[in-house]
Amino acid sequence: MNDTENLPSHKEPEKALAAVVSLRLLADKLEKKAVNEAIKQGWSWTQVADSLGISKQAAHKKFASCIKK
Amino acid sequence: MISLFKRIKLRIKDTATLTQLCQMAEKYAKKRGEGEPGEEHFLLSALELPDGTAQRVFERLGVNEDQLEKAIDQQHIDALSYIGIDASDMSSVANENDDVGEHSNSPFKSKPSAQSLMKELVASRRSDKDIPLLGLHIIEVLSDKKLGIVSRAFEVLGLDQQSVKDAVSIELKNYKLSI
Repeated sequence: MNDTENLPSHKEPEKALAAVVSLRLLADKLEKKAVNEAIKQGWSWTQVADSLGISKQAAHKKFASCIKK
Repeated sequence: MISLFKRIKLRIKDTATLTQLCQMAEKYAKKRGEGEPGEEHFLLSALELPDGTAQRVFERLGVNEDQLEKAIDQQHIDALSYIGIDASDMSSVANENDDVGEHSNSPFKSKPSAQSLMKELVASRRSDKDIPLLGLHIIEVLSDKKLGIVSRAFEVLGLDQQSVKDAVSIELKNYKLSI
């Protein structure tokens, strides 16, 4: 993770920054889907929060409204 | 010159249009599985405004709403391919999401790209005070941007800045003639 040499090229900032925007979007979607699935599988909000490295309150605040019943 | 009374009426109408735009952009963001709306969701919302001007601009450019949405997905796919990620199924992730429902009652939040669009939109209205805020004004502001999701989506569609600006300008002229 500290080996920045192996990161994709940043020599073309326009392309690299566009990739960053899309990566964030992809990460958000994956996060939302995975949390949804975890809750469906019976995970507690504490488990979800621990996995994401955030507080239980933060996890609940961020994802509770997107949990599909 | 229009009267002060008419100008006040226009500004009230603009506020209603902006509210409508924000609600629709929020809905589009949710539909595409995203939290807060960005400039691209405002562009899609502009196409739904009842004045029909944004839709006519894109008709003039030979692009429909579906193609525009696909171009937005495609620019994400292209951007990720630059760093070696194959996200060709990203569009399916985008469309399978949530309950689109009514807009929430919580305070409106948007991405910085949408906040900047709003500021520029308000600034641009100062120079065109005699007509209401129209869908084409959103395209006009976004067509000035050389970077960002909308600019990349236009590139995917093969639209250059000038052709978009020209289509906006023709439609604006037609609108002014019709009132």
